[in-house]
Amino acid sequence: MVDFSEAKEMAPFLQEPKAMYVGAPGKTGFLFMGFELDKKGKSIMRNLDRRAPLIVQQELYFDAEMPEMPCVYILSSGGPNVDGDRYEQNITVRKDAYAFVSTGAATKLAEMKYNYSGLKQHFIVEDNAYLEFLPEPLIPCRNTRFISHTLLTVAPTATVFYAEIFMGGRKHYDKGEAFEYDVISVCSQGERPDGERLYREKFIVRPNLQTPRILGIMDKYDVFANVIVMTPPDKAELIYSQIMPYIDNDQKLALGITHLPNNAGLLVKVLGMEPGPVKNIVREFCSTVRQVIKGKPLPKEFPWR
Amino acid sequence: MTKDIISLMRLIQFTDSAFPIGTFSFSNGLETAIHEKIVHDAETLEQYTQSIALQAAYSDGIVAIKAYNAGLQNDYDAIIEADNRLIEFKMNNESRLMQKRLGKKMTEMGVKIFDHSLLKKYLQDINSNKTPGSFPVAQGLIFATGGMSVEELFCSHQYGVINMILGAAVRILRVSHYDTQKILYKLSEQTPAFYEDIKDLGFDDMNSFVPQIDILSALHEKGKMRMFMN
Repeated sequence: MVDFSEAKEMAPFLQEPKAMYVGAPGKTGFLFMGFELDKKGKSIMRNLDRRAPLIVQQELYFDAEMPEMPCVYILSSGGPNVDGDRYEQNITVRKDAYAFVSTGAATKLAEMKYNYSGLKQHFIVEDNAYLEFLPEPLIPCRNTRFISHTLLTVAPTATVFYAEIFMGGRKHYDKGEAFEYDVISVCSQGERPDGERLYREKFIVRPNLQTPRILGIMDKYDVFANVIVMTPPDKAELIYSQIMPYIDNDQKLALGITHLPNNAGLLVKVLGMEPGPVKNIVREFCSTVRQVIKGKPLPKEFPWR
Repeated sequence: MTKDIISLMRLIQFTDSAFPIGTFSFSNGLETAIHEKIVHDAETLEQYTQSIALQAAYSDGIVAIKAYNAGLQNDYDAIIEADNRLIEFKMNNESRLMQKRLGKKMTEMGVKIFDHSLLKKYLQDINSNKTPGSFPVAQGLIFATGGMSVEELFCSHQYGVINMILGAAVRILRVSHYDTQKILYKLSEQTPAFYEDIKDLGFDDMNSFVPQIDILSALHEKGKMRMFMN
């Protein structure tokens, strides 16, 4: 059940949409994917349960550097997320298995007038399992409202790479949109399988109440990426030692890395002007993580993506 | 009236930058922001300080009030929960270090000054690593056990955050005392709105969005500049 009634930041946006009501079929997407090793030791998608508008067809093995990795694109038949959508996405990667999950295209958050769009996710990564979750960027249109909550339940020996890229808006549309949305609220939380709490990160951007165009927040940057890597402490140290934070004023790119609380892993933040270069940095970082965990790099991105 | 005056005297004592808990050794990322020429004058300093004050209100401010209420009700489990919830929300090493250093010092001062059983127990648990000992929780407990109001606590918290940065600024940035006092005077005006907005929020409502400051903190964490501890 996707329920955000506790989120006070969404309280102003609870009118019933004039089009399809909240909870209508086609507006409540559901997805469950279970990855595990088969009898031959091949990592496969054993379980798939989905409800429109979320679509996953089957796992493909297109990663040239790691052809044994099942790769899945999540698609949405509805196009953008619209007023009153409620989606739920759950992924389990069982013991020793591994998977790569992305989206087929950027997630557009349509203009909203009455309600909001909400997404709940629960990813479970069991002993020694490995999950890369690298969706395409999120593009919020004018007056959109979006909230997401992601729970990462990760075994002490497992690794999850969880990336999100946020654009300020449709930068090159019309006269250009940047931070003209109503609210974006994003929370991710990490825990162990026994329920031990590790970290909780939440950010709420409400440009009408506090402009993000201020020094310390987005300043002059347009794109922001947030990457959580939950991994064992020895692996975290190996990754941490290879990543140097920087601010590049010529390229207008900046990267920071730090440790999550309670030895949960690492946190990387990237700022930039366009999604392409930011995505490249996130992929390079993912490649470093994959090298440390699996001994293999990320392949070059497909030219059409 | 006498009680009010004592309470105000206590507020000034525990908020004064001369209160010996070591706030002078932290800059909240300002050292790197100046090095990177992001902060370079009074105007950019004001913006930077405003961003820090905002994120502090919606994280440390909420926890301080929760700890204050737990202190009033003598609910020790709730105090420890506040401590853990703050640390699991602090997303970089140096800010966790700052919270723990200042929290322990603040609690030690409280124990030395008015010897309250709740503070004593909290200090014992900090020393035996049973709880992190964060600054907002220590502030909340001292204001609760010292008979001060929750509004005074929040003022002390916001004043402390703003003044910590401005205190560092006059040492490392070409700004005058007139500039920093003007900034403090101006930013104090946003404190009532912050308080009204956060006073009834819970742990799950804590939020912070300062990606540029997070990147500056990361640069400091891996860099060699060490005039300040963060």
